[in-house]
Order: sequence, then structure tokens, then C-alpha cells
Amino acid sequence: MAQAEITAPRSEHPKPKVSRQRLREKPVAYAFLAPALITMALISLAPIGYTIYISFTNFDAFHFMEYQFVGLQNFIALFNPNDPLSGVFIPTLIWTFAFAIITTSVNYFVGLVLAVLLNNKNMREAPIYRAILIIPWAVPSLISLLAWQGLLNHSYGQINGFLHLLGIPGVDWLGNPFWARISILMVNLWAGFPYMMTVCLGALQAIGPELYEAAAIDGANRTQQFRYITIPAIWKMTLPLVIPSFAFNFNNFNAVYLLTGGGPPRPTNQFAGYTDILASAAYKMTLTFNKYDWAAAISVVLFIIVGILSWLQMHYTHAFEESDIS
Amino acid sequence: MTHLNPAWLHKKPAASSKHHSALSSHERIFLWFSRFVIWLVMILSIIPLWFVAEASFNPSNAYFSVSLFPIHPSLYNYQYLFQHTQFFIWVKNSLIVSITVATGQVIITALAAYAFSRLRFWGRKYGLMTLIILQMFPNFLAIAAIYSALAKLNLINDLWAYILVLLGGSAYNIWLLKRYFDSIPRELDEAALVDGATPWQRFTRIILPLSLPMLVVIFIFTLMGAFSEYILAGTILQTPNHYTLGLGMYSLISAQFAKNWGEFAAAALLSAVPLTIIFGLLQRFIASGLMAGSVKG
Repeated sequence: MAQAEITAPRSEHPKPKVSRQRLREKPVAYAFLAPALITMALISLAPIGYTIYISFTNFDAFHFMEYQFVGLQNFIALFNPNDPLSGVFIPTLIWTFAFAIITTSVNYFVGLVLAVLLNNKNMREAPIYRAILIIPWAVPSLISLLAWQGLLNHSYGQINGFLHLLGIPGVDWLGNPFWARISILMVNLWAGFPYMMTVCLGALQAIGPELYEAAAIDGANRTQQFRYITIPAIWKMTLPLVIPSFAFNFNNFNAVYLLTGGGPPRPTNQFAGYTDILASAAYKMTLTFNKYDWAAAISVVLFIIVGILSWLQMHYTHAFEESDIS
Repeated sequence: MTHLNPAWLHKKPAASSKHHSALSSHERIFLWFSRFVIWLVMILSIIPLWFVAEASFNPSNAYFSVSLFPIHPSLYNYQYLFQHTQFFIWVKNSLIVSITVATGQVIITALAAYAFSRLRFWGRKYGLMTLIILQMFPNFLAIAAIYSALAKLNLINDLWAYILVLLGGSAYNIWLLKRYFDSIPRELDEAALVDGATPWQRFTRIILPLSLPMLVVIFIFTLMGAFSEYILAGTILQTPNHYTLGLGMYSLISAQFAKNWGEFAAAALLSAVPLTIIFGLLQRFIASGLMAGSVKG
């Protein structure tokens, strides 16, 4: 076949053969995709569609078999300041944002600082430190979060026991609204900084030494090199992982529910406690209160917010354009 | 595409021994300052885990038992765990779920990622876009829909229904693996193409062997993810004999009248240690896999 191409008029372009080959590959491609397409359509897309539908109905324990379409009623209830439901939705929405923003940025900052400190070529034992620092990430989050629930327990937890030894009165870590939120942020820093540290270390080591050499020749000192080379380079490389991390924390059910169960409860409202994020509130509304319509409406709001984040990620990281060049 | 080669992550820091003796005092101060900060963070990272280990060997759920080593160490908590709880059933259920889901995900993901990376077909562009969006939507957001659908189908409390639901969340893995496949030089399968290899042969003989480390990472990632999954497990599995380890352990520590902190600590140690060791061994691959998915030229 190679000979046939050499004698063909435009021999420098053996393209026809490849495209014919690719044409034949098309059905094969769908065969490769079939398992993913079927499971995703059945188990991801169909429930999302159903969720959107439920959010426009009055589907709850009293209307389990014969529920009706009620239009935007659930969404109006969520956002209307005069509706009792908004009294729990708005504060929960604000806390969800606060939790995701603070957790992601503090974890990133601590991870970055540690990565910079570890990336010191004079610190020859750095790999050992790195292996130890990664441990909190390696412990399954389910177990570490539940363990923290025990450690922070007001009466038997060892954190209060330790404070007791130091003569400091114990703190009601999980029972007080303010301290419960502080606890969640601290525990998620403990569990989350190693991931960011790993990501930043990878990015740091990917910066070529030529840049620094060039900068040194131009007379830039260490601080200037750090400010003008290291920070922008790391930021550019890690951003595609920071935005999904924010989206992940936005729906980080485990991080909240396994530590506080969403509590302490609000005296004015049973549906969501002080530390509940929207994902855990939707869980409670489904399982505890059988308010499928409200849970679905909250999920739809979350879909929209996360959808905007996805768009931002695609826009700022050009992930999509790059993937299409090949 | 050399920047996508994970090898750079394994590179040791530039040889420094000959400069080491010639550190300026400024550099030496910074080095010791760095060490001090790192040691502090290491202590804060390890102490809580040590407390859990200590509690597991401490027979009394004593109030304020703060010591670095248990005063009367015993295996009482472990004994209680085996005799009076359904720990083994929970471990078994968790193993069934996480191994099945991880295996299924690796197969589904590898096939789909290969198609997206190497084959051209109608819908590829929109398929990729859908993947990026879907990876942002954890399927537990559709929890009300999943719960009511399973309730109507009478599949609540069914371990296999739970496994099936977890199999749906493959978008992130496909995306991650597609990027990894992209970093494997195309010349390799083009050479095979010239030799007349079918897509299946190129997939199984060239791409799969070359990406074995990444496949292992995806397997472990999914395994750990399924192991730590709580929200869907809590929705679908409702009686203690169907619980996964997470649900069982939550019931140990959060039950209204039984604060079984010591037993919980024993269970935590037994189940976390093997997974932590596996994760530690694979950490380098994980790091390179993450960066392969994000670094660009």
C-alpha cells in the first residue's frame, strides 16, 4: 500500500488512507464508549432530569404517588424573604459559600507555603517530611472525619482533655454554632492541605531552571524571582485544579455531615442546622423529612451554581480548546 | 509534549551536597526556620491520629484520658468490636462495594478515555464538554430523585442497587485518564496503525500496558472514594446488616445512647491503616497523574 501512495499524484499527503481508516473507526468508537454512555445516561443524566422535574412538583411524603406540577412554587419559597423556608435557605446558602471559599483558599495557602518550604534544595531530608505530611490525606476522609468527631467531643474528646491539662476550660466544639463552624474549617484544613501541597510541589518542580538563571543574570534577587516567576507559574498550573476543588468543597457533604451532622440545630427551624451546607440540608430533607420537592429545588440551585463554576473553569483554563487541537 | 511526562516529578532536587557546606548564614537561617515550621505542622498532623490509636488500646471510655500511651493497655475494644458489633459484615459489604465499583470504573473509564483520546467520531466535541460539566456534578445531588426512584422500584436496602448508582459517576475519571492517554506519544499507535492493528489491538497492546500506573491510581482513587462514600450509602442502605463500614462506624460513634469511642477507634485503626499504607506507596503516581491532567505548555 505504501507503494501505491508513492506513485499517487500528491504523494506527500497520505491523508486519504488515514481518513478512510478513521471513517471505519467511527462505529468502533461508539462501541468503546457504550459502557460509559449507558451508565452515565442511566445513572447520572436521568436522575438529574428527574430532579429538575421533581423541583417543579409538590412531591413529598403526603404526595408520594399522586404529586402535581406546581411550577416555580418551590423556588419562590426558597428565595422569598417572607417564606419561612427562605429563613433556613439563605443562611445555609451563605454558609455553603463561606465554607467552600475559606476551606479552598486556606488549604491552598497552607499547601503552597509548605510546598515552597519543602522545595528547598538544601533540605535534603525533604522527601521524608513530604511522606509524613501526606498522611492526613491518605487516611480515608470518612474515618478521619468521624475520628475528629470523637476527638472534639465535649465530654470525652481528647482535644478538650488536652486543654484541661493546660488549665484551659474545655470548648463545646461541636455544640456551639460558632465553634462548630471553626471546627469544620480546622478539620478540613487538617485533611485538605496535603492535597494542595502535593499539587503545588508538582507545579514548583515543573518550573524550568532556565527562567531563574535568566532572571539572576538580569539581577533579580530571590524575593523578586519568587514574586515574578514562581507565583505566576504556580498559579497558572494549579488553577485547573483549584476551581474543581472549590466546586468539590461546595458539595463536600462528608466534610460537614460526618463531623457535626449539620448541627447544632437552629431553634427556629428544624430543616437545617447551623453548619449544614446545602448538600447536607438536601440529604436531611430527603431522608428525615421526606420533602423531595424542596431537596430537588435545592439541588437544582446547586446544579446552576456548579454549572457556572464549570463554565468559569473552561473559560479560564482553556481546558476545552486544548483538548480539541489533538 | 515532554512537559506531560510524569518523570519530572520523580526527579531528585539538584545535587546539592557540594554546595551544602558553603551555605550562607542567610540560607542557613531560612533552612532552619523552614524545618521548624514543617516539624510543627507534622506534629499537628500526626497527634490526632496518635490519640485515636491510643484510645483504641484504652479499655475505659474514660473522661479526659489524655496520655501519650494508654495506662492500662488492652485489646478490650477490639474484642468488643468483633463480638458485639457487625464489624465484619460492614467490612465485607464495603469491600464488595469498593472493589466492584473500582474494577467496573477502570473498565468503563479506560474504554471511554481511549475513544476520546485516539478515535475521531461524531459527537466527540460535545461529549468532552458534557464530561467536563458532569465531573462537576456529583450524582448525590440527585439524591431525592435516586431515593424516590429506588423506593418505587423496591430497591432500597439493596447492595447491588447501591453499587450500580456508584458506577454512574465516571466522568471525572474519564477526563483524567483521557489526559493521561493524550500524553502517550501518538507515534506509537500510528506505527501500529500502519502495521494494520485494529483499534482494539492498539488499545490493549499499546495504550493499556503503557498506562498501567495510571490505571492503578484510578482503581485506588475509586476504591477510596467508594469506601468513603456516605451520602448515597445512607440513602439506599437502611438496616445494620446492609451497612457499609462508614454507616456502621457512624452508628458506633453517633448513636444517641452509645458513645463507643474506644470501639470506634479500634475500628478506625483496623480499616484505615491498610488503605493509608496503599495510598502512601502510590503517592508518587497520584501526584504525577494529577499534574499530567493539568500542566500545559
